[in-house]
Amino acid sequence: METPSSQQRVAIQINEDYCGRCSICSSVCPFEAITRDAETGKMLLDIEKCQTCGICYSSCPAGAIDAIQYDADSLIRYLERAKQQYKSDSLVIMCKGCAPDFEDVQKIFGISDFVPLSVPCVGRIPMDVLLKAISSVGTNGIHILACDVDYCRFERGSSITGQKVMALNLLLEKLGYGKEAIELKRHSLKVKADRNKCISCGNCAFHCPFSAAKLVSGAAEFDLDLCRGCGLCVALCPAMALELENWEGARISASIARLSSEMAEPKILVLRCQWSAFPFPNEELDANVRVIDLPCASRVEPLHVLEAFRMGISGILIAACHEADCKSKTGSKEAQRLTTALKKTLGQIGFEERLHFCSVAPRYPEAFYEELQQFREKIESGYS
Amino acid sequence: MIVTSQKPLDEILSFISPYNVVLLAGCDGCTQPPRGLREAKTLGQLLELGGKLRGKDFKVRVTTSPKQCDSYLTLTTLEPQIEDVEAILSLACGLGVQTIAQVLPDLPVFPAQDTLFIGAEMREEGSFEERCAACGHCILDLTAGICPIARCPKGLLNGPCGGSVNGKCEVDSEKDCAWDLIVRRLEKSGRLSLLEEIQPPRDFWRVPRPGRVRE
Repeated sequence: METPSSQQRVAIQINEDYCGRCSICSSVCPFEAITRDAETGKMLLDIEKCQTCGICYSSCPAGAIDAIQYDADSLIRYLERAKQQYKSDSLVIMCKGCAPDFEDVQKIFGISDFVPLSVPCVGRIPMDVLLKAISSVGTNGIHILACDVDYCRFERGSSITGQKVMALNLLLEKLGYGKEAIELKRHSLKVKADRNKCISCGNCAFHCPFSAAKLVSGAAEFDLDLCRGCGLCVALCPAMALELENWEGARISASIARLSSEMAEPKILVLRCQWSAFPFPNEELDANVRVIDLPCASRVEPLHVLEAFRMGISGILIAACHEADCKSKTGSKEAQRLTTALKKTLGQIGFEERLHFCSVAPRYPEAFYEELQQFREKIESGYS
Repeated sequence: MIVTSQKPLDEILSFISPYNVVLLAGCDGCTQPPRGLREAKTLGQLLELGGKLRGKDFKVRVTTSPKQCDSYLTLTTLEPQIEDVEAILSLACGLGVQTIAQVLPDLPVFPAQDTLFIGAEMREEGSFEERCAACGHCILDLTAGICPIARCPKGLLNGPCGGSVNGKCEVDSEKDCAWDLIVRRLEKSGRLSLLEEIQPPRDFWRVPRPGRVRE
């Protein structure tokens, strides 16, 4: 666990001035991070337990929870800007955890163009933002892509969104917006196994944090209902027989090549678990820094790190969650193990210091940027 | 399975330094940890990267054989890939390297691995343990399924030696005393009397080296 300085900003806070002590936040929090103090009746947030899903933020009837990122004001500002940019009156709000690429989203909803809004858990979108979006952007419909209920990394984010959408649709119907003004679909991104390439080593079966893999008649088989899409098995498969939907090896390689070509020197690439830091959509990064968000740090393949170095990237930062926060149980730990081994090998060609592993959490929104800044300074001062 | 460890990159780079196009051959067989396609691609990238730093522009092609120690499988998987290849680097154990040398006699072949031993993989501990010495005269029936030839540094046929301390070997206190394990297991199954018979010296003529079995 990090030791935050006293001034460190936290992502979620309870504003006592507005809190009506109704305890709804406490009842919706999937991580038991909010409790009601028995003596004073105050709602208390234990930030170390908070996973920053924002479900409390969207559920508080008094608006007494402050969120630094993805709060209503900045979401609406984004929507207004994005409406001009995308020139569409359809809006798709999707969870990062299950959002495929633009074309697949088009197919899922049967629409050709839309304003995309990708968020870490759709459960954090307050109802008033949805209503505002209908009146301003999504006049032709709002579509929400949530994770399958069992796939939700924040346990209740998807199911709570389902309830909210149902309630809102009833309301909107009464207001004359027709039936199901907000369309909710669910999706997930899972492993794909090629039995023909399997060499029966059993790595996937041994390492899968969710026991989704097993060897059947000598080849890997997956119970996709159990797969949570971390990609650890993909990174470990010695035969390269596995792929993770939307994060296929070739797709990541192509992203690295594309980003590398547009970066200024010295090039710094961040391979980041998408749950370890929550950037705002359209975040502006420095010209020599680019980020690839992955479903878990354990999806990082040493092969991609080496490819990036070969393309002229000067430094690579791997950002993972703290072990206790890992959405894939052992994912962060395994990612650290793989990085340590890779650093040792890279040491043989003098590249050890160009690869850095850090653990951060979105509960401290500055934590990632501090790590990035330190690494940048190191690379810019002499390793380039 | 055959347990190997990768040679230092400098050593591998020095092997291939006279050549420009190198075929890196993985092995999906028993080599542990598996040195298949991923290892081949990863080492390929490392060598190209390491070569570049030394002013050398290697072209490393990668492939993998289901079992490099099988002459037929190795010839059929490697032969279609060797056009304009100047040297082969094998990710397999010493058997794979020698099989390639035999089936592709015109190409120089180099080992990327040091071959260590025949070992068992203990996944939970993340370790590989030497368990069989391939001595050609198996006595596991008498020793409760624990091999004193491979697991006792003294290779005693009639043990324990008396140097065992709290179940650990006097030669290396990190390791279990094989004979301590044998005695305890035999005792547990009521077969301790098996040790009353003194084992004569091993018959080394059973497998005259180099060994050969015809089928």
